[in-house]
Amino acid sequence: MSTTDIILQQLANGLIMGSFYAMVALGYTMVYGIIKLLNFAHGDLYMVGGFVGFLILSAISSLLGESWTAIVCSMVLSMLAVGMLGVIIQRVAYRPMLTAPRLSILITALAVSMILSNGVMTITDGEYMAFNTDLGFDGLDFGNVFISYTQLALVISASVLMVILYLFVNKTLYGKAMRAIAIDQDACKLMGINVNKIIALTFFIGSSLAAAAGVMAGVYYGSLHFSMGFVIGLKAFTAAVIGGIGSIPGAMLGGLLLGLLEAFGTQIPFIGSEWKDVFSFGLLILLLILKPTGILGKTEIERM
Amino acid sequence: MQTKKMTALVGGALAGLLMLSQANAADLKIGIMVPTTGSEATAGKDMENSIKLAVNEINKAGGVLGMNVVTITGDDGCDPQMATSAASKLVSSDVVGVVGGYCSGATLPTLKIYGDAGTPFVVAAANSTKLIDANPGTSFQINSTGFDQVNTAVNLFQSKGIKKLAIVHQGDGYSEDLAKLTKEKWTAMGLEVVAYEVVNKGEQDQSSLVTKIKSKAPDAVFWTAYYSDGALLIKQLRQAGFRKLIAVGDGSNSPKLLEIAGKAAEGVFCFSNPTADYLPAAKAYTASYKSNYNQAPDAYGPLAYDGMKLMADAITRAGSTDKAAIVKALKETKAFNGITGAVSFTDQNTLAKSNFVVLVAKGGKWALNK
Repeated sequence: MSTTDIILQQLANGLIMGSFYAMVALGYTMVYGIIKLLNFAHGDLYMVGGFVGFLILSAISSLLGESWTAIVCSMVLSMLAVGMLGVIIQRVAYRPMLTAPRLSILITALAVSMILSNGVMTITDGEYMAFNTDLGFDGLDFGNVFISYTQLALVISASVLMVILYLFVNKTLYGKAMRAIAIDQDACKLMGINVNKIIALTFFIGSSLAAAAGVMAGVYYGSLHFSMGFVIGLKAFTAAVIGGIGSIPGAMLGGLLLGLLEAFGTQIPFIGSEWKDVFSFGLLILLLILKPTGILGKTEIERM
Repeated sequence: MQTKKMTALVGGALAGLLMLSQANAADLKIGIMVPTTGSEATAGKDMENSIKLAVNEINKAGGVLGMNVVTITGDDGCDPQMATSAASKLVSSDVVGVVGGYCSGATLPTLKIYGDAGTPFVVAAANSTKLIDANPGTSFQINSTGFDQVNTAVNLFQSKGIKKLAIVHQGDGYSEDLAKLTKEKWTAMGLEVVAYEVVNKGEQDQSSLVTKIKSKAPDAVFWTAYYSDGALLIKQLRQAGFRKLIAVGDGSNSPKLLEIAGKAAEGVFCFSNPTADYLPAAKAYTASYKSNYNQAPDAYGPLAYDGMKLMADAITRAGSTDKAAIVKALKETKAFNGITGAVSFTDQNTLAKSNFVVLVAKGGKWALNK
């Protein structure tokens, strides 16, 4: 492989990793933007999404076979189910805490995270589950640079979902309400906006995006485990902070940036791959020193 | 009625006691130290079952030195503290020898207790290299150690004509150790390790690492850690078009690896301690295990079975139940033929010849590499 090949291949790797980070980061950033909560359970929703998708796929594959149609169906159904789960969590665990001190709701989020991951651990006996879809190894082959159709499909579906979200938030009335609540909740109430409904909607969208990413990860990597939400939750949170937490384009940008940094961090000559996180996080710290609000973040008075 | 029943019960119990004490006169007491409770209880029970299977066969064939073999089980709970009290219990019950040892951490502190009592101890499963240094001279390890796995791996790579090796571990004690030992051995032979890499535990995407490995053009990739992330690495290596040899260490010896990696795992090599499925000599053992316990033997059953047979063999050769004589006989073991292979010992009381086997993935199953 020539240096150009390596750079191009790592660019592709970084974009794929980055798409996952971005999709999960969106949920963090949307929830933070609207109720200033760091939803630590978000990574676990990604995990639950993967498992729900797996269950649905096993159930419908007898009807549709393990085709792309079946995968898309299970992804959509998993998005709906986990979206609903997100709304239920919001209703049960977070809404009663909205007026409580910030730290209380943060701890509630940690509890929800533990309930979800330990619940799935109990159900699955802590076992790894194989998500077996034979998607094959075909793809676009540019000599030494190779992108499989699965990877291509991942990046495309992630982009489509993100574009839909962007349009929804910026072009619809509900999106406008969301943005308004992010600015001032009390004023929104006075203007006759159903704040609770919009908050629930935000949770629904954020959770279903995480579920979509979870199903994609299951299909792409082929295995599911109750702890799989932890690492990606951490990384996606980082991505959201880099992009400027609260900003939707920021989360997308932060996710892609983190993915690319990691991909190239692995390849740095003379140091082993164990330093890739040191490299990427080092650069991120530098960025936050220079611009503490993140790339697209706005300065806020209230800080946690 | 009630009193009659009681009398009958007491009478029965007394008769039982009498029989027991009578039997004791000509009994040869062997201790079994395995975890029968706690997280590792399944493996421990399997070893206990296998040892008892061996004892039944020995007794049917006339016992050892004309004596009937009886066993006493000490539960080490895979915990160093429980293990020390189990060992003390066995020593004070005057066993002439002990077979067992599953968890290395729990086995470690017991070596001194047996050593102080002069009791010979055949360590059937535990294989940490720390046990070698802590051995007071009375313990004998019949499971291959980490060094043996390295030798098995290096032999396989050489037989496949590999020159440039890539090693990937996970940064934990076990996998890093195996990776380091392999690297040292490989470079000492004048061969090249072109990539020595780490995967973070639980990180699903390893594509950037795969690209890096591919760019170094190794002839083989050796994964030294566990099956879950190993399966992902194999899958992603194959997806990226890496068609050369992939081998995985014994931590990846699981059917789950094949299930998760699917087609990508075909032809992957795996190093494994000798389990019943892959041992041609273990057919009779497996059959009798199944008929006695209604289940298939687990990973360390054959070694535990061999351990008991070896102990009986050594006592026969010693010609007495004197502990020092048995230790001497164990040390002098020359090619004892167990179901896991021939056993003889080095100066450090470890296996002179590794009993690690090489498996290869064929049609979604592990099979012995021939």
